Amino acid sequence: MQRAISSFALAPAVKVKLINAGFHSAADVCDLQPLHLSKEAGISQEEAEEVLQATRCESNQGRAGVSRLTALELLEREQALGSIVTFCSALDSALGGGLPVGKTSEICGVPGVGKTQLCIQLAVDVQIPVCFGGLGGQVVYIDTEGSFLVQRAVDVARAAVEHCSLLAEDAEQQEALKEFTVETILSNLFLFRCHDYVELLAEACLLPNFLAQHPEVRLVVIDSIACPFRRDFEDLSHRTRLLNGLAQQLIQMATQHSVAVVLTNQMTTKIANCQSKLVPALGESWGHAATQRIILHWEGQRRLASLFKSPTHREVTVPYQITGQGFRDVVLSYPWKTRADFAISSGSACKRPRMEGGGRT
Amino acid sequence: MDWDLLDLNPRIISAVKKANLKSAREVLSLTCFDLQRLTELSQVDVQLLYTAVATVYRKAPPITALQLYQRECPVSESWQRLTLGCPVLDSLLRGGVPLSGITELAGESGAGKTQVGLQLCLTVQYPQEHRGLGSGAVYICTEDSFPIKRLRQLITQQSRLRPELPAELVHSIRFSDNIYIEHTADLAALQTCVTRRVPILLSRGLVRLVVVDSVAALFRCEFQSDETVERARHLLAFASTLQRLSHSFQAPVLCINQVTDVVDNFDPARCSFGLVETRVLPALGMAWANQVQVRLMLRRLEGQGEAGGSGGVPRKLEVVFAPHMPQASCLCSVGVEGVRGIPSEPQPSGLGIQ
Repeated sequence: MQRAISSFALAPAVKVKLINAGFHSAADVCDLQPLHLSKEAGISQEEAEEVLQATRCESNQGRAGVSRLTALELLEREQALGSIVTFCSALDSALGGGLPVGKTSEICGVPGVGKTQLCIQLAVDVQIPVCFGGLGGQVVYIDTEGSFLVQRAVDVARAAVEHCSLLAEDAEQQEALKEFTVETILSNLFLFRCHDYVELLAEACLLPNFLAQHPEVRLVVIDSIACPFRRDFEDLSHRTRLLNGLAQQLIQMATQHSVAVVLTNQMTTKIANCQSKLVPALGESWGHAATQRIILHWEGQRRLASLFKSPTHREVTVPYQITGQGFRDVVLSYPWKTRADFAISSGSACKRPRMEGGGRT
Repeated sequence: MDWDLLDLNPRIISAVKKANLKSAREVLSLTCFDLQRLTELSQVDVQLLYTAVATVYRKAPPITALQLYQRECPVSESWQRLTLGCPVLDSLLRGGVPLSGITELAGESGAGKTQVGLQLCLTVQYPQEHRGLGSGAVYICTEDSFPIKRLRQLITQQSRLRPELPAELVHSIRFSDNIYIEHTADLAALQTCVTRRVPILLSRGLVRLVVVDSVAALFRCEFQSDETVERARHLLAFASTLQRLSHSFQAPVLCINQVTDVVDNFDPARCSFGLVETRVLPALGMAWANQVQVRLMLRRLEGQGEAGGSGGVPRKLEVVFAPHMPQASCLCSVGVEGVRGIPSEPQPSGLGIQ
């Protein structure tokens, strides 16, 4: 009730008039009649009604809604949302069971390292039926680079269906498998194509409505966020403001509609102290946008995924590979090679890869 | 834009008019706060305005991947590929060159990059049932003059390269009439070429393939080593022009690129794309690599004798990255009739990477 008038979502002119008339907090206006308020503040009656609606609605929500949740309830609610497996058990365990629903995650990496592959894999895995431990959800896939090739989605979907059919044991799972086919997977994947940043912003405005109409959607992928925002911009501060606004919208979407939001980002060369290194694009402030940041990178012939920013899990680096079937664990197939490989991977498991050394300044 | 067409409260519409906003683009690219300030509307009204404008601005509603797969929608042709004119090379590329996005072919001088470019200029002219696109090609030369003699030779040898096609079809196409050659000697000329002349050719349906031979030449010579930021900006503008053309006309774009030597000291900013045994990497750095959809490399295998009896040093065509293909490679040879893949003996290479 002590909330300042200036912090409400009202027209600026109205706010100025209210403050000039001496109304500083919600409590000051709350008990007035619209006619009275309009006379006092010199605003129209229509505007006065809007002001009262905004302030009263706020105070009611404050009493009944969010404030009463305890940390335990919050924890239970979060656990009920579940997470999306990646089919790479090493990455899953690093993330604590998979990519969390209700949060935003960013996947960064150089071209060809497997960002799009991970996105397609997640888009298929989120649809795994509940009885197989999946979420049975639908996907919104926003493609800004034109890199979503349906041929590849079919490969990954087919492999996932085969994987599940090998696991099926009881009658319920057999029944669920009838609905889990390549065709249904493709039909639950809604593809949006955006060619520039304005189209992307337009889709972001429309997405909440789409999610309300399709409550089964559990994953929103934007592949990539960097591509439209790295061209056409002269004024970088305008870009930063738009990106911040977009990030806010996405976080809101993730929590309100219980979806996992996955963004991909490119890497760029940053020169500091006469040394160049690779860092995620879109600047320093964008680094705060997503809850989790995963960086995919090469080390010789090996592909590695590093959990770079996470509020709940420690920073680790795990190996993965991209096969014909999709995003997978590295299988140590040669017994004579195992020990050496193990030594390398356990050695680098705890420390951050060298390429991001001192990346956060 | 006519604001009265929007399904909004007249109060909001008049505020938009009063704020002198001209287009939907303008509204969408303003932040919520700026828009509130300009129109003097409340946040709730601004949200309504955003949604209404976005609905009008959206060009196509979302489609499901299944629709895309079943070719029901206008962009369905992305399933299709442009053939390279050789079944071995096509199977390496899962059917050929994708119709949208930039395909890059990098390699040392003399590796045979231009040969592949020329061959695509011919295969694109075959009708769709023979996996061409039934249209011509534009060939942008930035390095050397166009190898017209070699093109003539390739045209006369077409029936040898593609014996599976009916001879009368091969003879009926006037190949050289459908190849538009552009010479651009500097960056400004290249920009005008891709922003003015190429769109005209594409929109008239005269061509459906753009070959740039090579991107590296101009970008490498016109910028000093300390102008990398400026160079990256130009590269990005150039790449996005090509991408737009490619997406809107479903026309493949092949960019031929040079390579740069790998200096062996450890450089944290270098990305080798998982290639370990290579001494060279594609030129132009990360700024360009981010724009490429499919990256291919062609290299000569020196000291390995003649391949397949068709003459010449054997080459290796390698997929470095692509959204739909694993890293893989095959041997090929450049003969009189063109570039051909050499079928590999059955060996445990192939899909599994590493």
